[in-house]
Amino acid sequence: MTDNNAKLCCRNIRKKILFSIYHARSGHIGPSLSVVELIYLILKLGVNFKKKDRNKFILSKGHAAPAFYAVLDELNLLKKNELKSLRKINSRLQGHPDKKKLNLVDTGSGALGQGLSISIGYTLGSRLLNTKNKIFCLLGDGEIQEGQIWEAAMYIGAHNLKNIITFIDGNKFQNERSIDETLPEKNLINKWKSFGFQTISIDGHSIPSIEKIIKLFLKNKYKKPLLVYCNTIKGKGVSFMENNNKYHSVKDLSEEYYKKAILELN
Amino acid sequence: MNLSIREAFGKELVKLGKKNKKIVAVSCDLKDACKLSFFFEKFPKRSFEVGIAEANAVGIAAGLSMSGFRPFLASFASFITGKNVEIRTSVSYNKCGVVIVGTHGGLIGPDGATQSSVQDIAVMRSLPYFEIIQPSSPLETKQVVNYSAASKKPIYLRIARNDVTEFLPKNYKFKIGFPSLIKKGKKNLVISSGPTLSNCVTAVNKIGKNVGILNFSSIKPVNEKHIIKTLKNYTNIITVEDHSIIGGVGSIIAEIIAKNRLMKKLKIHGIKDDFVDSDTPSSLEKHYKLDPLSLEKIFKVFFKI
Repeated sequence: MTDNNAKLCCRNIRKKILFSIYHARSGHIGPSLSVVELIYLILKLGVNFKKKDRNKFILSKGHAAPAFYAVLDELNLLKKNELKSLRKINSRLQGHPDKKKLNLVDTGSGALGQGLSISIGYTLGSRLLNTKNKIFCLLGDGEIQEGQIWEAAMYIGAHNLKNIITFIDGNKFQNERSIDETLPEKNLINKWKSFGFQTISIDGHSIPSIEKIIKLFLKNKYKKPLLVYCNTIKGKGVSFMENNNKYHSVKDLSEEYYKKAILELN
Repeated sequence: MNLSIREAFGKELVKLGKKNKKIVAVSCDLKDACKLSFFFEKFPKRSFEVGIAEANAVGIAAGLSMSGFRPFLASFASFITGKNVEIRTSVSYNKCGVVIVGTHGGLIGPDGATQSSVQDIAVMRSLPYFEIIQPSSPLETKQVVNYSAASKKPIYLRIARNDVTEFLPKNYKFKIGFPSLIKKGKKNLVISSGPTLSNCVTAVNKIGKNVGILNFSSIKPVNEKHIIKTLKNYTNIITVEDHSIIGGVGSIIAEIIAKNRLMKKLKIHGIKDDFVDSDTPSSLEKHYKLDPLSLEKIFKVFFKI
């Protein structure tokens, strides 16, 4: 994959996120824009939706659904104009991912903290079936305040479940305020290490960094379960949305600001 | 022969596990108490001990189910059904086929309120797609475990720890949605399930012929037409449960009666809106008036016999 091509795709995906949320008149812009590169590369390199028995993508931070849908659209996996149906009755694109409605979803999510446990279930199932599927799990940095995450981390470490790769979207904000103002993370990386993970910190918008890790993971190059802490920018790509938590969850994005944002992305 | 319902559950699951390789077991450090240990011993590769982490266990069971397996996740009913948001999102929202087995419902004994579940049916009833079954005897438990293993739906099984002498006839057949009349009566009907049903049977046998008994083991779904037809021949109805009177079997019957404007006299007998105390199970049964003798008295007064 050429870097420029991927960059272009990610720019398109950001525009699609804004397009769908603008039409829905609500949605989580900031935490969707921070995970564009991650979801795009995970799905592009790691998950072949055409295969019946395939690797799985667990979007544990379900509120980033618009980013997931936008990536699916970029990969031509949605119907034409489907993005316009975000957050509407009978749409496959519900406010938070709904597996019953959209079969590309590997788990419904939205109540935070549950995706890592689901990932364990998938990897244990794959082990019994001898399919060796890989599981990509994406967590929010606010989400890891949920206790269940640490129950799952303890299990993954104890059983050395190397077929799960865990990404943290480190955008430094949560629903109301910054992580630091809410519940500062002390020695976060060391916590994961102590649970038995190998940890890597990267720029979560760097295409080569993410690509390298995913490729090595797919080739079983890591000897321990992997935790990738991704330094990201909430609202990435639109200057007035970046690190501005007003755009965590937006109601009625005005036409003026929508156009302004698209102009920046052009 | 006395066999506790949970033992019947554990043994039947092993039998089924031999044929059905998709059955897997998930435990939260309570496999001995829940009798999931039989399965663990026989099928270690298909058994997962998660530790004291029920939320994680729910997610793991959901993931296993979405991989094509049929997980039986067992713990104390109060602990596992307490994980409402996890069951709601990971299992119910995904409509995935996890069998959640809650043991130690009702009056379990000296361990007291925290371990005794008298709210689990109410909690689980509101979760979409879930079926709820509480078998009443060892024979029925075997049939219910068979049904649950073969189904693909999310199911909540309320499995009692009590010893219950078999009281159902050999030709008894469990059918989901269709609670069955195990004794016909005139005008008067007792509705119950689980271990309290056997106490009701003892009490009714003392009273005489004109009291009918409905085994309400299939708690959700309920075929309403079937219930209306069954209730047709009865005027006085009493529900008996080792569960809160809020949201249990009594509530279900009350809903059906009210919705269909049936002219019935209904009494809901169970645990008042409170926690239960510690003591021996038999003392507790007497205290909460769920033992055969108390039930006999209550029935006599209510039915004016």
